[in-house]
Amino acid sequence: MFEEKRLHPAVIFFNFIKTLKEAIFPIGAGFFALRNEAFIYFILASAVLLIGLITFSILSWYRYTYRIEDEELRIEYGVLVRKKRYIPKNRIQSIDLTEGIIHRLFKLVSVKIETAGSGTGAEAALKAVKLTEGKQLREELKEIPEQKSMLFDEQTDNIRKPSAKIEFKQLFLAGTTSGSIGIILAILAFLFSEIEQFIPDAFYDNTYQMIIKLSITVIILLAIAILVLIWLLGIAGTMIKYGNFTITRNNDELFITRGLLEKKQLTIPLKRIQAIGIDESILRQPLGYASIYAEVAGGSLEKGEDFSSVLFPIIKTSKIDAFLQKFLPEYISNRDDLVELPKRAKKFYLLRSMYPIILLIAGVVYFWPQFSWIPFILLIASMYLGFLRFKDGGFCIDDEQLTIRYRRLNRKTVVVFHKRVQSFEISQHKIQKEQKLATPILSIVSDLGGRHYRVKDLEIEDVNRLADWYSYR
Amino acid sequence: MRQPPKNTIARDAVKAWKISEAIFMGIVWAVVIAGFIVSIIFDFPLWYIGLVIIICSISTYLFVFVFPKVRFKRWRYEVFDQEIYIQHGIFIVTRTLVPMIRVQHVDTKQGPILKKYQLASVTISTAATTHEIPALLEEDASTLRDKISALARVDEDDV
Repeated sequence: MFEEKRLHPAVIFFNFIKTLKEAIFPIGAGFFALRNEAFIYFILASAVLLIGLITFSILSWYRYTYRIEDEELRIEYGVLVRKKRYIPKNRIQSIDLTEGIIHRLFKLVSVKIETAGSGTGAEAALKAVKLTEGKQLREELKEIPEQKSMLFDEQTDNIRKPSAKIEFKQLFLAGTTSGSIGIILAILAFLFSEIEQFIPDAFYDNTYQMIIKLSITVIILLAIAILVLIWLLGIAGTMIKYGNFTITRNNDELFITRGLLEKKQLTIPLKRIQAIGIDESILRQPLGYASIYAEVAGGSLEKGEDFSSVLFPIIKTSKIDAFLQKFLPEYISNRDDLVELPKRAKKFYLLRSMYPIILLIAGVVYFWPQFSWIPFILLIASMYLGFLRFKDGGFCIDDEQLTIRYRRLNRKTVVVFHKRVQSFEISQHKIQKEQKLATPILSIVSDLGGRHYRVKDLEIEDVNRLADWYSYR
Repeated sequence: MRQPPKNTIARDAVKAWKISEAIFMGIVWAVVIAGFIVSIIFDFPLWYIGLVIIICSISTYLFVFVFPKVRFKRWRYEVFDQEIYIQHGIFIVTRTLVPMIRVQHVDTKQGPILKKYQLASVTISTAATTHEIPALLEEDASTLRDKISALARVDEDDV
């Protein structure tokens, strides 16, 4: 593939739409300013602008060429300022193919090429090429001459290429327990507090009682309708995002395809995985479900919540080990046998969870004494959360592998290898020192510069053991 | 990691910190005095400005006269062949281990205040974190920088 190629002409259309979107505001402003006296000028100006945009879109499509030459992907583009971007093959970290809705109509695909740089945008993005072309491009860019050994490749390809696909039932459950339920609960709580306020006032005036009652019913019905709508939207959102979620391990990379409307394919090279995490959200944990994610260094791969790459959106907790065995056997860990927090750490956890609420109580009792019960319920809930945080904290060292578990709202279990930990810290304040407790902080690389894991108030001896494990001396 | 690191930073660090804290507090005082004048002109109640002045006086005392000394006492570092060991913190004592093979680059930095006392600070960056050893003697800082950069060889692992 040495000859220069252009993107699919559909890009002209995409470019046009994109620039039009940016120009829509001045056009609209022009319309309102000139609609009476100088409407003809507005039409003229718009026509000129439109023609300009179309020419610009065509030109920028025409100028954008790419080719593979000397083990490099060479892209040349720019209308007024000509730019050339050469990316060496062996610097390419991942190649993602995405099919948007419009792309799928024309059997096109957009190709995103990432290098290790930590910028936000993709290093190179070919907005639309033919699907076959995109796949061919990926194959060609992935091949690095010295590493290529055809025989070996074929063998491993045939022997193991494990794969897992999300089932509809799982997907539905994922949608039902997605974050949107949190919003619903918040709205519900708010409405209950408001209705409480409405009802006593309503009884004073007999004349309006009927109407008010009716309006309350309407409000309640409307609220329920909105809640159901949000919930359904949450389910639909999850379905669209994670529909047809398939993960495949292909030699030394993970290959993920997902999306109902917009099909996304992304590749995670195994050597870029910094840590594997298991996220048991507070709604899914009681049902025995969790999601699995990976912290991947560099690039701006499609990220899920918290900027981590989702490896599987929902999975039965009991099947996690089987999943890891299939895809990332080295990340199986002894999650049920962690070194736990000492008993005397409990009071710190309870206190920490309580003091923001206590401030809230003071405020609410002072300003709205009739609502005092709300923060008290919150207090009990947050104390329970504090207790859970205490109960769930822990770590486990197994040779080069370290497992830590902590909870903020969701319980997270993270498995990381010694060589992936960038630095290790012990932090200890005065009271911790008296109580012989300390907090270890481990830093790993992630997309946002760094991710720091901490388990608060561990036994100092255990923290020292962690330090000895980490130290090279 | 049970023993604190051996080396202390330059003694003049205390003076440098005092100056920079004094400058900062000077700005705070300027604002407070401006508020005081405004309160007098517009006849605002004076009790809260009094409260602010008391708080400011206490924090000036702490930040300029107490904390620099404590911070100096706490600040320790030690550079081994395989790792860098740092301790700092006034109320929360933090001890950090940075393995040499994780070091991406080392910088020395010198602002006008540090320059006055011939001091410089060394910043050590890994792929995920940055760590600073503040206020070393100029020549110590540059030897330390060169030493760390020599010890921090590129590892074959990614990142």
